[in-house]
Amino acid sequence: MEPQMKRWKGSEFDTDSWVAYPVLSDEQSQDVELVEAFAAPIVNKKETSRLVRELNGLYPLDGLQHIKRVRACKEKDSPHPLEVLVCLVSDAPDRKAVSIDSLLPSDGVGRDGLGEPFVVKVPARPPLTRPQFELASKQWPTSFHEDKQVTVALRGELFSPPQKAAMHMYMMSAIAAARAGKEMGMEAVGAVVVNPATQTIIAVGHDCRGDHPLHHAVTVCVDLVARSQGGGCYSFDRYPACRFTSPTSDTFQNVPDAEGSSQPYICTGYDLYVTREPCVMCAMALVHSRIGRVFYGTASADGALGTKFKIHSQKDLNHRFEVYKGVLSKQCEGLNKLDNHIL
Amino acid sequence: METQGEIKATSAESFYPRDEDIEKWMANAFDMAKDALENGEVPVGCLMVYNDEVVGRGRNEVNETKNATRHAEMVALDQLLDRCRHSNLDVRSVCERTALYVTVEPCIMCAAALRLLNIPVVVYGCRNERFGGCGSVLDVSSADLPQTGNTFKCVSGHRAQEAVEMLKTFYKQENPNAPKPKTRKD
Repeated sequence: MEPQMKRWKGSEFDTDSWVAYPVLSDEQSQDVELVEAFAAPIVNKKETSRLVRELNGLYPLDGLQHIKRVRACKEKDSPHPLEVLVCLVSDAPDRKAVSIDSLLPSDGVGRDGLGEPFVVKVPARPPLTRPQFELASKQWPTSFHEDKQVTVALRGELFSPPQKAAMHMYMMSAIAAARAGKEMGMEAVGAVVVNPATQTIIAVGHDCRGDHPLHHAVTVCVDLVARSQGGGCYSFDRYPACRFTSPTSDTFQNVPDAEGSSQPYICTGYDLYVTREPCVMCAMALVHSRIGRVFYGTASADGALGTKFKIHSQKDLNHRFEVYKGVLSKQCEGLNKLDNHIL
Repeated sequence: METQGEIKATSAESFYPRDEDIEKWMANAFDMAKDALENGEVPVGCLMVYNDEVVGRGRNEVNETKNATRHAEMVALDQLLDRCRHSNLDVRSVCERTALYVTVEPCIMCAAALRLLNIPVVVYGCRNERFGGCGSVLDVSSADLPQTGNTFKCVSGHRAQEAVEMLKTFYKQENPNAPKPKTRKD
């Protein structure tokens, strides 16, 4: 690629070249799990409400509140207008010889208006995202409490053009840091910590593992943030591209009340931009540091925010955060290539 | 895991702490944990032992440094690295024959750091239900992570109850990690 082309691609205004997608939890991104159930045609529509009431009493669909009991038949020439879920196959008294008589004891549900049962598949869990909802609904009508932000995020449309321009700028700083680190013999990885409330950069760091095997770009930034708050335990003075700004004065002027009146506390409320997906150590360092959100460029082989683990949505951990990937993905991919050439 | 182990088989294979080592070094690690507790830090202490010699020791110093990653293991690893630098020792060959003795199961972050440095054996007291990286929350110690150093063995349970009691004592106190309610004027 020609250098001029590169410059243009990395320009501040080229925010259409990338899309930030959310890295969702396994529960949100997995396939729709199905369970088998017996359904039966409702041949007499007038019996529907009674049948539903009586079936709910005899075979309550425990844990399947997202499933609608009755569905309309799609085919126009269907002999019956509606179908009703009788019970899960696992709840049937006799799974082998199934007839409507074997499913419904004579004193329980009046069989008037019901045809012979057949097996259908229904979603085992409530859908959490629109794609899951659409897949689930193909099987059996399902209700869905939509999280609009997740839906918009999955379309890659969560961030407005001005927001994307800011994200672009922050990731460009991370890329510049990665290149500076590379020139000092480190892996080409850079990271930036931003206070989104004041839109200020708190820390910029790059990989320093050539001098210390645990000084990855993220752990470097975590310590630079500590430095900005009067703590920290390393000096990165010999790396000119690693730097921090104390968030003192402008934080208090620009943000009134609650947020401004408290001292900055580790990475609480801060965003991290990092050129590639953090490893397990770095991802957990971000949990401990209570990071607000993480944006990364490209995935890593052992990455812990999407690839090997999803530590940001890990059950049992006491802090969770949103993760978005794909910010300036091509430029970040280019950094990885710099490293791979050496290897 | 087996295939990986074969590829990465090193001299560390035969290296394993004896009961008397465990007793001796864990006693030392507990002293470090007590020191943490007395200083308002999460009571975890550890020792790194190479050739029957302590090459790193640490206790949690998160509050002191305002850096939430300053766990005992990270502090001790820094000492080990410093020592290698000053004595001109090869980090990898030292780490491959170094055992970590720690009062509480290493967290996910520390477990990954120990892998990155190829520490082969970790002896710990109690489980870490909140953050444990050797099986309690995730099993980083044995996970298939080819880019993240070597897997390591764990020996657990030594003085576990005592380690738990120390953690309980700490968490019963007011959380010293919480942000101060008022801004201090510099």
